[in-house]
Amino acid sequence: MTAPRIAYAGMTHLGVCSAIAAASKGFLTIGFSPDRDLIAALACGQLPVVEPALDDLNRRSSKLIRFSADANELASCDVIYVAPDVPTDAAGTSNLAPIDAMLDVVHAHARADAVVVILSQVTPGFTRSRRRPDRQLYYQVETLIFGRAVERATKPERFIIGCADPSLPLPKPIDTYLKAFNCPILAMRYESAELAKIAINCCLVASVSTSNTLAELCENIGADWSEIVPALRLDRRIGPYAYLSPGLGIAGGNLERDLATVVSLGDSHGTDVGVVRAWQANSRHRCEWALRTLHASVLGNVRDPRLALLGLAYKEDTHSTKNSPALALLAALAPYVMTVFDPVVAPQAEWHPRLHRAADALDACRDADALIIMTPWPEFKELKPRDIAATLRGKIVLDPFVCLDRAACREAGLSHHVLGAPALPST
Amino acid sequence: MLTHQNAEPKAPSRVVVLGPNGFIGRRLVAHFQGQGIPVASMGRDKVDLAAEDAAERLAAELQADDTIVFLSALTPDKGRGIPPFLANLRMAAAVCAAIERQPVGHVVYISSDAVYPFRSGLVNEESCAEPTDLYAAMHIARELMVKQAVKAPVAILRPTLVYGAGDTHNSYGPNRFRRMARDGKITLFGEGEETRDHIFVDDVSALIGLVALHRSAGTLNLATGHSSSFGDLARRVAALFPTKVDVVGTPRQNPVTYRTFDVAALNRAFPQFQFTSLEKGLAAAQRD
Repeated sequence: MTAPRIAYAGMTHLGVCSAIAAASKGFLTIGFSPDRDLIAALACGQLPVVEPALDDLNRRSSKLIRFSADANELASCDVIYVAPDVPTDAAGTSNLAPIDAMLDVVHAHARADAVVVILSQVTPGFTRSRRRPDRQLYYQVETLIFGRAVERATKPERFIIGCADPSLPLPKPIDTYLKAFNCPILAMRYESAELAKIAINCCLVASVSTSNTLAELCENIGADWSEIVPALRLDRRIGPYAYLSPGLGIAGGNLERDLATVVSLGDSHGTDVGVVRAWQANSRHRCEWALRTLHASVLGNVRDPRLALLGLAYKEDTHSTKNSPALALLAALAPYVMTVFDPVVAPQAEWHPRLHRAADALDACRDADALIIMTPWPEFKELKPRDIAATLRGKIVLDPFVCLDRAACREAGLSHHVLGAPALPST
Repeated sequence: MLTHQNAEPKAPSRVVVLGPNGFIGRRLVAHFQGQGIPVASMGRDKVDLAAEDAAERLAAELQADDTIVFLSALTPDKGRGIPPFLANLRMAAAVCAAIERQPVGHVVYISSDAVYPFRSGLVNEESCAEPTDLYAAMHIARELMVKQAVKAPVAILRPTLVYGAGDTHNSYGPNRFRRMARDGKITLFGEGEETRDHIFVDDVSALIGLVALHRSAGTLNLATGHSSSFGDLARRVAALFPTKVDVVGTPRQNPVTYRTFDVAALNRAFPQFQFTSLEKGLAAAQRD
């Protein structure tokens, strides 16, 4: 057969990155959204997401990809991915209504022989409940990582495909499309695939929570987690790519959503999910690391301090601030003058009543009593501790992700507080 | 966690302190008076909460805009048995009945960190309150009684070990150590390895004051976030005396338990609050 035509319905972070990746593999691709303004921007090359290498890949694939707000164009496609955003509430519970809405649009316009694939994350049981007798419906696990979306979309480790009956071969169009990525294709029951995504995230959370717990212990007993990590990576049962970097709890929203799903499923089926609740509690505890450290080092003993904050995005290389620890910290520091800088995210007045935007990282440090680096953007790693020491009024630097060189901070006389190791005292 | 009904602090029209003559109550009344806030001290001389007509008498004293700080309780030094347990519940029943007759604007109930078991070393407001004796069960029951009876915002405050001058209790900790030190010897359980959070009484008063000003609702632990061992504490107290004070251990009878508070919720509720350091607090208690 000729190469199948691919469509992605929902120009979300996931949909945009996946559609551009499809075109980059040589497939004619349509990026569909009913949002005409969004489509107009995409047609001009203005992408709604920030991802390394995405703009370049979009330019190189522009002959094969077209963005459209016309649902009728879906009729020309052989494989249609449904990829709207799934909002979550404060408890991490998903609202799946946008998927149903987009499925209705797709089913109304797609050919009867088109393969429809739900790509947005759903709770186990969702896909089977949406089957229609006259349609071919599949579920594919998305493995988007903010900040690494292009790499994940173009070089996936494997595809996990949920099927009504995994003993049957995949339809030719989707089989051809997936094989173009040269990675294993794992077909399984809908429910297994839906839970596989959650299982992956639970394993990641287990690693992160273990790291966060032991990193906190390191801070208190004189050990250094960064010295321990290489030993763990060389253990085959743990592995070189394990999530062992300590963080400020679990941010971003997706992992929290999966934990909430497991707790809900476990409770409703009488399964012991105490360990998952412990991960959630540990995340809430570690999310407050910066606030606790600030109170212990600055706020408890300096009257009306000025604070410098670098980084607002929930992690580097993304514009997303969803569940950002930086914003959670800002909300707890309302009485203080804050000067902030982020390379991508513009500070918003509703985040803090005394917020000032700095021109750059060092500008933010000027006359501040303490510096807090909440997002490990690459450019923050270029900062010289001696320049910070010369600009900062105080000596306190909270650098949870260790952007700055520890030895250089010591030489510059800074009191350097990091995750996973005791603070360096100021000199 | 607490939510503030008043984002900006606003003095209540009047604060009614139930239990104004106890260790915390006396300092709290002085704190409000120092801020120019009218205080009605409702001691046993005015309304005996154990009396049959307590609810009626208290209701007659209350006004619609009042903030009530409910401190009255028979403390553990009066016993942890069934009689003080029931007496404490009757007092709470009277207070609740009074508020049902005459609703008020805000209620602050002073509970205790005794509601948490020592099984979990790190405690925050989400920790399971799981009473292990009748004193702790009494506080949990009173928390529920107040929350059920009061329609206005309710703040439940759970102070950890409170120390300072004028403490009439003799529980294990700084106050008892000071009394022991006067005789030249502080005796510890084991070697005093247990760690606890000790909060200065004036900090407790100031925090209750902030809760009243913000008309806060919810549950908050009153703790500093810093724990010390009883051994360390005893040596600090001993060092405050001009004469030599021996700190001696005894054979350990019970397993060592630890407690540390995660005070992030307090930091969020009152970002500018600065605690009195143990060093300064002990010295102040000694001076007074």
